[in-house]
Amino acid sequence: MKVAISYPPIVNDRGQKAMVSQNRNVQFFKTPTYLLPVVHAQAATWLKQLRFEVIWDDGNAQLKSYDQWFNDLVKAKPDVIIFESTTPVMKFYWRTTDALKKILPNTIFIMTGYHSMRRPEETLELSQTDIVLRSNHVDFVITKLIPFIANNPDWRITCNLEGLAIREDASKIRSTGHFRQVEPLERSPMVDRDLVQWKNYAFENGNYLQTPGTYATSVIRDCMFGKCTFCRYNGPDLTFSVLPVEKSLDEYERLINEHGVKEIFDDSGVWYRGKEAREFAHGIIKRGLHKKGCYFGFNTRFEYLDKETIELLAEANFRFVLIGLEAADEETLTRLNKGYQLQHVERSLKWMSDAGLHPHLTIMVGYYWQTSEQLKKTVDFVKSLMFRGLARTLQVTLCTPLDYTPYHQECIQNKVLLTDNYDDFDMSKLIVKTPIPHSEYYQAVREMYGIAFHPLFLLRQLRFLLTFKRRDWQFLFTYGIRAIRRVRNHMFNLTRGEGLAIPDPEAPTSL
Amino acid sequence: MRRGLHKVIGVDLLTDHTFSLRLERKDVTFLAGQCFNIGLPDTAVNREYSSYSSVFDDELQFLVREIEGGQVSPKLKLLKPGDSVEVDGAYGLFTIDPELVPNHSFYFIGTGTGIAPFHCFVKSLPGLDYKIIHGTRYVNEAYNRFDYSNGRYINCATHDKMADFNGRVTDYLLVNPPPRAAIYYLCGNRNMINDVYDILRERDISSSQIITEVFF
Repeated sequence: MKVAISYPPIVNDRGQKAMVSQNRNVQFFKTPTYLLPVVHAQAATWLKQLRFEVIWDDGNAQLKSYDQWFNDLVKAKPDVIIFESTTPVMKFYWRTTDALKKILPNTIFIMTGYHSMRRPEETLELSQTDIVLRSNHVDFVITKLIPFIANNPDWRITCNLEGLAIREDASKIRSTGHFRQVEPLERSPMVDRDLVQWKNYAFENGNYLQTPGTYATSVIRDCMFGKCTFCRYNGPDLTFSVLPVEKSLDEYERLINEHGVKEIFDDSGVWYRGKEAREFAHGIIKRGLHKKGCYFGFNTRFEYLDKETIELLAEANFRFVLIGLEAADEETLTRLNKGYQLQHVERSLKWMSDAGLHPHLTIMVGYYWQTSEQLKKTVDFVKSLMFRGLARTLQVTLCTPLDYTPYHQECIQNKVLLTDNYDDFDMSKLIVKTPIPHSEYYQAVREMYGIAFHPLFLLRQLRFLLTFKRRDWQFLFTYGIRAIRRVRNHMFNLTRGEGLAIPDPEAPTSL
Repeated sequence: MRRGLHKVIGVDLLTDHTFSLRLERKDVTFLAGQCFNIGLPDTAVNREYSSYSSVFDDELQFLVREIEGGQVSPKLKLLKPGDSVEVDGAYGLFTIDPELVPNHSFYFIGTGTGIAPFHCFVKSLPGLDYKIIHGTRYVNEAYNRFDYSNGRYINCATHDKMADFNGRVTDYLLVNPPPRAAIYYLCGNRNMINDVYDILRERDISSSQIITEVFF
């Protein structure tokens, strides 16, 4: 049986590519970032181990045009095609599925991902998709489902694996119940780097200071905290699963010694904390991996890592720490269920920057309640942190309700959504009613990205050179040049929406 | 959800490594089963703990396992009445729909301090038809077992023959098959959750009847 795990190239009318993968929300970028979809890569690896013929079909990373990707897939005639969904590309996927089904009527189409898992009937009704996976554990479910299909021609009627919505016939859809929330991650294989052609993802990623870089097999699925209202890793059906420290260390060792990787990022919603984080750092040091010239990075939350653990991570050659600073006012943090207090942000960042880590802030603007005062607080706070060297880099996104997260549902209930067309949910423009004109949020985006070119920020980077740390020199001369290209790209992407705004009849006007 | 400083009312040692942290409640509201982030003032580190106390109690109470070398729990253990802690919350969706209570029975299966949300359920939801299967190492970890109605609490201790059942919760479930119609809540370490899940599924209990929350 031939199984394709497929990521079609999705290019908009401006020639920007959509970056779809489990690791992030979809955004369209002219300068692409190729992210390895880790869980799907584990699924591909596992299927291959089970002796299925696997086509790792990432049209984006393989630099194919849509037509080339489509024709190649048709030529390959897979028995099963697996897609990954998220809100802004749903309509595209439904069209693509139907177009492929016309030519490949016997192929089974499986939709995975956080949008369709929460609305399985919608995808089955609006496209010719055969199965929707309701589980986030794509690897575990797929590797049970594909053998079942291979061995049971009447699978539509007889398959009772949990967490599926199956099209039984033209008029009947069947649910097999809730999916299994916790899986023993150590049973899922580490990603087969050759199978997924890892080098396609090793260079075009703005967060790597050194290349080739790669994503590690995630140690936490999805998020240990899992309460932030805007995040897809939040819902009554989700908890988290953990990979043992030693297994992850083994993979790092292989990536460094066998593949020559120079930067490894773990894109778990939130990486280890406390005891596990320290065990991991000790493991890196014990194996001598901290002296191999490879940097390590991860996502974390404020108030998860203490000073001692941060210093240990720095000793183990960790560098990049991605951390959400969603806003700088308590009301917003409270409404988002963030679970940290602003008063501790500076101290946490100081621990990191003093230890030589490079904190990267992820900021959002455009919440449906966000006032001018709240927005200004965020911009001023971010500037202050960046000018003082407490964070090295940042990214700003327009908070967009997606994937029927609690924030998305809240927007629907409060009737603040300006559109129900999924195509509009691509994070390129604000799609919620707000108390101030949208232009103020776009201006805030420009102001925060503009920090990269501010003399105070540049001066601060020069002062970092006095530490004589290799990473600081690299940051200024290598990453800096690359960052300028990407900052411009981000600014364009996030503010062009100003001209594409969805009209809000009740919108406040600028003063 | 709210955040703020709460005064410590008491720290009661339950075993060598487990204690109950009691805090003033102030105006905090929450749903049974939800958790809070708790940290010491000005330390910039917090951890999540599920409420052990009920939604009706005047104080907030948490069961805390002391983690050796941990950054939060050993410090919480040393708190004295009148000290303060930072509390954020409540959060989480490991809750029971009150509309299900009158017509359903509930099986709560947990290990160690994973019993906290179950204690909160029992004390917060009058008329709850429940059974608790609690896995510990020793019987002295069967915290407040007399808070539960007669016959509704089973302590499975792996290292103690004085327990209701000597062995793991999984061993108990194998010799005492759980009913098919109940709703199952699992809370504790991930290995227990995985093993119990397999046992329940082998009993043809629908995956839609199983709700889980991992505790460290």
